[in-house]
Amino acid sequence: MVGLSEGEQEFIKGGIAQDLRSDGRKRYTYRPIYVETGVIPQANGSARVRMGSTDVIASVKAELGRPSAMQPDKGKVAIFVDCSPTAEPTFEGRGGEELSAELSSALQHCLLGGKSGAGAGIDLSSLVVVEGKVCWDLYIDGLVISSDGNLLDALGAAIKAALSNTGIPSVHVAAEAASDEQPEVDISDEEFLQFDTSGVPVITTLTKVGKHYIVDATLEEESQMSSAVSISINRQGHICGMIKRGGVGLDPSVILDMISVANFVSRQLMDKLDSEIAAADADEDES
Amino acid sequence: MAAKPSTTTTAKATYSPIDPTRKTRPPIFSGSDVDWLRPDSRGFHQCRPAFFRTGAVNSASGSAYAEFGNTKVIVSVFGPRESKKAMMYSNIGRLNCNVSYTTFATPIRGQGSDHKDFSSMLHKALEGAIILETFPKTTVDVFALVLESGGSIRFLVKQVDELDTLWFAVGDLPVVISCASVALADAGIMMYDLVASVSVSCLGKNLLIDPVLEEESYQDGSLMIACMPSRYEVTQLTVTGEWSTPHFNEAMQLCLDASAKLGKIMRSCLKEAASDEQE
Repeated sequence: MVGLSEGEQEFIKGGIAQDLRSDGRKRYTYRPIYVETGVIPQANGSARVRMGSTDVIASVKAELGRPSAMQPDKGKVAIFVDCSPTAEPTFEGRGGEELSAELSSALQHCLLGGKSGAGAGIDLSSLVVVEGKVCWDLYIDGLVISSDGNLLDALGAAIKAALSNTGIPSVHVAAEAASDEQPEVDISDEEFLQFDTSGVPVITTLTKVGKHYIVDATLEEESQMSSAVSISINRQGHICGMIKRGGVGLDPSVILDMISVANFVSRQLMDKLDSEIAAADADEDES
Repeated sequence: MAAKPSTTTTAKATYSPIDPTRKTRPPIFSGSDVDWLRPDSRGFHQCRPAFFRTGAVNSASGSAYAEFGNTKVIVSVFGPRESKKAMMYSNIGRLNCNVSYTTFATPIRGQGSDHKDFSSMLHKALEGAIILETFPKTTVDVFALVLESGGSIRFLVKQVDELDTLWFAVGDLPVVISCASVALADAGIMMYDLVASVSVSCLGKNLLIDPVLEEESYQDGSLMIACMPSRYEVTQLTVTGEWSTPHFNEAMQLCLDASAKLGKIMRSCLKEAASDEQE
């Protein structure tokens, strides 16, 4: 919870109207982003992303499983988010549950694409080992360590970084088993396959305060929002997902305007993120 | 869309869940882009017939029953009542939403009985339309029960593991949202406008309005909009799949036009109920 006096509220709103926010940023400027990859040795891939004092970790674990009967030629991906009470005392016990559920469902919407796989950041058919029998299940877990607004964008960025850091062990399938038996598989611990993460979209949340929208809102700015829209956009500039985060209604023309702003902002964010990820990977290789 | 008003008058016909004369199912997906029939032989831009009726539950402050094709939903609204003691003081009202499925709503018994995701989406779709300032310190409960889910593909999956539930079906949600706003109006909760909700599926280049679950399982993308038709404002929207901006524009316009028409049907249902009371 953010307790702000009326004066402080006016200060934030006034600043946004004049395109000068309380930390000196413009409306469409992000806080500096720091990316660290390979922070969790136990996972197949992991990354930590910091934006100001928002701090999140994403980890990717791969397990062998069975493809679902509906889609025998596809692997499965699940995204879960956990809000730790270290970030905020209200997250203790079941307090963080609502936010966690909201964030994980928003991430699923924005990153996993349509049912046929269109617009998905992760190519599910690349996860299949033996069609209909063995596939990789990817468990993507996000953890909020410290929260200062804009959690969804940070988590999206962390997941993108973690996926680019993920190595899936290559699998050798033993000689053809009977059709109704599970084939035996041999997981290599030396050879790893890398993901192509160029298709993973980035998420941009536009928070509307007064007449204007801002990106990368801090917790204080978020408390003044009238509504917020999260848009995930890929390299081609296509919309891969969108979700409105409550608040008052928006005119359809405003939504279209938000999309064009998000398109512009996300391109910058994606370039910035890609270079940060590359730098973080290089750092990890050195050490 | 044109078929809607006629069905509101012939209420009885909408009660037969499945047309018994139609034994064979038309092919769901023929592979090519253009020539395929929808499972219920509607046009691409044609919604399922909609039917609303208020006053479904006696003990509730307000309630409504809605039927869109096979999807049947009942929503009751309780309150405003005093907020729980543990909750902090609030000078605006609280909205508490819950969406649940009956055990017999789906072909396999007892799947998706409690829907947290739907509950939070329903909350977000309604909160922008309700004038919460009119009932400070109190809570309004909105309970939605899906009696029958339209279509079934998702629930045919026998092997249930947690990863399968990921691909939740959105098909019932627009019905729940529209029905809930009629129930809120019936309860006399002050609102800026009714909330009408419509979803669109994208298959290849085609846009299918108001998809049933069978169609949703083949879709490349989906878009759901909840809007206030007279104010022309969007209270909730969710998009999945890949959309180019012009394509998205087209889909959004289609949704908005359809929800304007749906809004009229909802309004006429409320007017009917009000004039019945006077007599």
